[in-house]
Amino acid sequence: MTGTAIATDKLTKRYGARAAVDDLTVEVPRGAVAGFIGPNGAGKTTTMAMLLGLVRPTSGRGTVLGEPIQRPQRYLHKVGALLEAPALWPSLTAVENLRVLARLGGHDERRIPEVLDVVGLSARMNDRFGKYSLGMKQRLGIAGALLGDPELLILDEPANGLDPAGMSEMRNLIGRIAQQGRTVLVSSHILSELEQFSDWLFVIEQGRLMYAGQSEKFAADAGHEIVLAAIDPAQLLALADVVSASGLEAGRDKDFLVVRADGHEPRQLAAKLNAAAASNGIVLAELHVRRPNLESSYLRMVERGIA
Amino acid sequence: MIRAFNAELARLVRQRVLAWMTLAVLVFSIGGAAIVLASAEPARPGGSTGRAPTFQSLAEAGGGTEVFRLIASFSGTFVFVVFVGLFALEFSRGTYRTMLLRQPQRIRLLAGRLLALLAFAAAALLAAEVVTWVAAKAMAPAFDVSTGAWTSLDGLGDAVADYGIVLFWVTGYALLAMMIGVLLQSVPLALAVGIAWAGPLEHLLQDAWGPAQRLFPGLLLEAVAAGGVPDVSLSRAIASVSFYAVAAGCIAAVVFRRRDVTA
Repeated sequence: MTGTAIATDKLTKRYGARAAVDDLTVEVPRGAVAGFIGPNGAGKTTTMAMLLGLVRPTSGRGTVLGEPIQRPQRYLHKVGALLEAPALWPSLTAVENLRVLARLGGHDERRIPEVLDVVGLSARMNDRFGKYSLGMKQRLGIAGALLGDPELLILDEPANGLDPAGMSEMRNLIGRIAQQGRTVLVSSHILSELEQFSDWLFVIEQGRLMYAGQSEKFAADAGHEIVLAAIDPAQLLALADVVSASGLEAGRDKDFLVVRADGHEPRQLAAKLNAAAASNGIVLAELHVRRPNLESSYLRMVERGIA
Repeated sequence: MIRAFNAELARLVRQRVLAWMTLAVLVFSIGGAAIVLASAEPARPGGSTGRAPTFQSLAEAGGGTEVFRLIASFSGTFVFVVFVGLFALEFSRGTYRTMLLRQPQRIRLLAGRLLALLAFAAAALLAAEVVTWVAAKAMAPAFDVSTGAWTSLDGLGDAVADYGIVLFWVTGYALLAMMIGVLLQSVPLALAVGIAWAGPLEHLLQDAWGPAQRLFPGLLLEAVAAGGVPDVSLSRAIASVSFYAVAAGCIAAVVFRRRDVTA
C-alpha cells in the first residue's frame, strides 16, 4: 500500500442545524479494502456522495486519488461507484444500460461482456433491468462500476435488501474484486458483511468518526471473551458466583456464561477460571476463548462511548 | 458534451423506441392530415381565421407543409409533457446520480442530453413532415383541396420554413420543460405546474389581460406554431420565445450545476 486513495480533513455537511457529517477526518491507503460502518442515517452515504462530487461539503476538505473533491472530473474516470440502490433505466437491457454508462464515461464498450461475466450476469444480459431481481440489479450496478477498470471502488450498502444467498454472493464478488489489488471502500450497517474481507475500518455514528484504523486492531481493542458451561446446567448460578468472586463480570447467553477478558491474557484467564470452578466442585463441560467479531466489538464500542 | 450526447442517443436509437416512434409518426401524420383537411373552410371576407385552415391557404405552394405545422401547433401540451417527463424522470429514478458519476461536468451532461433529444426530435419531425405531406396530398382530392402548387420550388421553400418553425417551437418547449424539470425534480409536480401554467392559467390571463399574448411563453409558442397571430407577428414571437428559451436554459444550467444530487 503506497499513498492515500481517500483523505478527508474535517469534512462536514450540514442540513440546516443538523450535521449529517461532522468534522470527519479519515485516510484510506491505496490498495486497502475499507469498511465504512455505521447505523442507518449515520452519514455514510452523505460522505460517499461528497467524495463522488454529488454533494457539496459545507466545510472541510477532501481528496480522492490525490485530486480535490471539488474537481470530481479529475478523478471520477478512475473511480467506480454504486451509491444506494442501483439507479438504471428499467426499459433497457443490461447490455444497453452498460452501453449508456460506457459512452457517458468514455469507457471501452468492449469491456461490457467482461464485466457482465465478472458479476455473473452473462446469461441474462439481454433481459430488461426492470425485470431483474434486487440481487441482479445490485450486481449490474457493480458491473457498471467496474466498466472503467477503476483504481478505486466505492460501494454503498451493496448487499442492502439481499437475501442470505444474495449477500453471500455479494461478499464473494467484493472479495474477488479486492483480490485484484483495487482500493475498495464499502459501507454497510451489517457488520458481518464486512468482517470477511475488510482490512481497514471506519466507524461513524451521527456523522462523527468513532474509529479509524485496521480491522484487526478494532477487534483486538474490544478484548476477548471466555465462554464457560457447567456439565450440570443447574450449576450455572454457582459458576457465575465463582466468576464474580474472581472480580470479573459474567453475562449469561442461554446455557453459557460469557466473561470479558478485558485487561487479561485470555488463555491464562481461562485456566484460572477452570481451576476456580474445579475447586468449587463444578465440572466444566465447555471452556473456550472467543475472539471478538466486528459486531461485538462495535457494540462494545458504542457501550463504552469511545470517541 | 459529446459523451452525454452519444449516451443519450444510445438510449433513443433502439429498435423498440424506433418502432414506437414510427407508429406515433404515422398516426400523428395521417390522422392529423385528415383532421386538418376536414376542418378546412372557405376564407372569410374579414381575413384571418386564426389557426383554422382555409381551402385557399391549403391550395398554396406551402399548403402541404402547412398541414404539418397546423397539426404540430395543436400538440404543444403533448410535446411539453414529453420533455418534462424526460428531464424530471431522471431525478425521480435517481439516474442523474448514475450519470453524474460518469460525467461529472454537469452543464455538459445537461447540454449533451438536450442536444441529443432535439436531434432525435428533429429526425422524427422531418419524417412526420414528409409523411404528412404525402398523406395530405393523397387525401386532398377527397376534401376538395387543390394540390397543384405543392410540388413547386416555392412549395419546397415553404416546407423548409415550416420545418424550421416547428423545430424552433419544439426547442422552445424543450428548454422550458428542462428548466421546470430541473427546478422541481419531480415528474408529477413538474407536469402539474407546467401544464397548469402553460394551459389554463395563461389562457385565462389572456382573456382577462390583453398584453398576455405578447408576454407569456406558452402563448408565444402557440403564436410561433401558428405562424403568427393577429396580436403578435411571427418574428416578434420568435424573438420573445428566443429570450425565454435562453433564460430557461441558463436557469436550468445554474441550478443543475449548484444543487446537491441526493436522489
